[in-house]
Amino acid sequence: MLIINNLIFSYTGRKPYILNNLNLHINEGEYVSILGENGSAKSTLIKLILSLLKPISGSIKINTDKIGYVAQRVENFNTQFPITVYEMLKIHLKSLKIKDMKCIDKALDDIGMLNYKYSLMGDMSGGQIQKIFIARALLGNPKLLILDEPSTGIDIASQDEIYSYIKHLNVHFGITVISVEHNLNAALNNSTKICVIKNGEANVYTVDEYSRFLEVANV
Amino acid sequence: MFEYSFMQNALIAGLIISILCPAVGAFLVLKRYSMMGDTLSHASFAGVAIGLVFGYNPIITAFIFTSLCALLIEFLRDYFKKYAELILVIIMTLSIGIAITLISSGKTNANINSFLFGSILTVTKNDLVTVLVLGVISLIVLALLYNKLIYVTFDEDGAKVSGIKIKLINYIFALLVGTTVSVSIRIMGILVVSSMIAMPVAAALQLHKGFNVTFISSIVFGFIAIMTGLFSSYYINSAPGGTIALASVAVLLVVILIKKIGKAY
Repeated sequence: MLIINNLIFSYTGRKPYILNNLNLHINEGEYVSILGENGSAKSTLIKLILSLLKPISGSIKINTDKIGYVAQRVENFNTQFPITVYEMLKIHLKSLKIKDMKCIDKALDDIGMLNYKYSLMGDMSGGQIQKIFIARALLGNPKLLILDEPSTGIDIASQDEIYSYIKHLNVHFGITVISVEHNLNAALNNSTKICVIKNGEANVYTVDEYSRFLEVANV
Repeated sequence: MFEYSFMQNALIAGLIISILCPAVGAFLVLKRYSMMGDTLSHASFAGVAIGLVFGYNPIITAFIFTSLCALLIEFLRDYFKKYAELILVIIMTLSIGIAITLISSGKTNANINSFLFGSILTVTKNDLVTVLVLGVISLIVLALLYNKLIYVTFDEDGAKVSGIKIKLINYIFALLVGTTVSVSIRIMGILVVSSMIAMPVAAALQLHKGFNVTFISSIVFGFIAIMTGLFSSYYINSAPGGTIALASVAVLLVVILIKKIGKAY
């Protein structure tokens, strides 16, 4: 599904590189959580995968153009922006050139948010907003779902609902999931693989390997 | 009043800009880039000065120079990502430098006040045709790009991931702002244009509704302010810029008042 070879990146275009010869292979149907310390360039890696940034060198190959993206909520969302849930989903569908507006109802119903169809985005709680952004990412039936810290700023109950829904999409619909995580438990409970970014490189573990690694490190 | 051809010209031009200013303004305000209107009104001042000094139609020269400045602002955004307001200062300095140098050289024959404060009497048939052509083209482009503009304004990264060419959209939008400012200066005046881009939107945001309602309300409030301003300037014999500005403040105050009363009951 995704092959990254010898990826090098820095925001200045010069050394020191924040991603340095990073290699990563993700197979179809996997659920990969990307972990790493603050500033380890996890979100930067996501933006490179999405072509929002250009690498200095290296290659990123994705074998689908059906990609759903859920950005880090606190980073992007302006609660003062006057837009309803329906309006936001409609402009997304139009950008995907999909004419059937009924799939908006289905996407909202699937995530339990149909009652909020005509609510203002700014009037909703953090968890509700995140669910709407996930519903948006799922319009157009993506094969790859990329999330950047989906539980940031969200209460525990909503976090559980969101993770179980993402897991459901991965297991029952075979959607490949790449999720930047600061939530270690969510990563261990849901992922098929864990990718740790350290010193600009990616180390990939199975969940069992990473659990043992944590035990040895006494975390 | 309606039997005078100058008043007919002013009303037709006023109708076009009362739709165009708030329509472009809605996106500009929500991008948190309201001051771009102010900067481009200074650019239009330089454009008018160039036209008057070198003997060309000042609205056309304002359109060309303002559009170039709008494109330059968009181009420089890549170089001053975290200091977007600094770009506006750079363009404003360049424009005001050109305008003051040319006008103070004494080579402008026309009354510069009519461009600063707006004018009903001086809207010629030629001006009207220019405003109509540029205004209608801008409205058509805006209608065609409406959904993409909302997406780019609300969530630039999301729009890019879903396949929208955000650079192209941003450049076209910059041109739309430039055009809006240059076609509006004849009626409203250079000093008032930027207010009319932002004030109707400020009033519409008070309604706390979705994008479509906010957008349409901005146009309705803009229409009320500009028409009220034009009629009152005719009756009190003043420049329309001032009365339009006052009417737009009045519209905002009325909307806030109605909202307060609505909440109280």
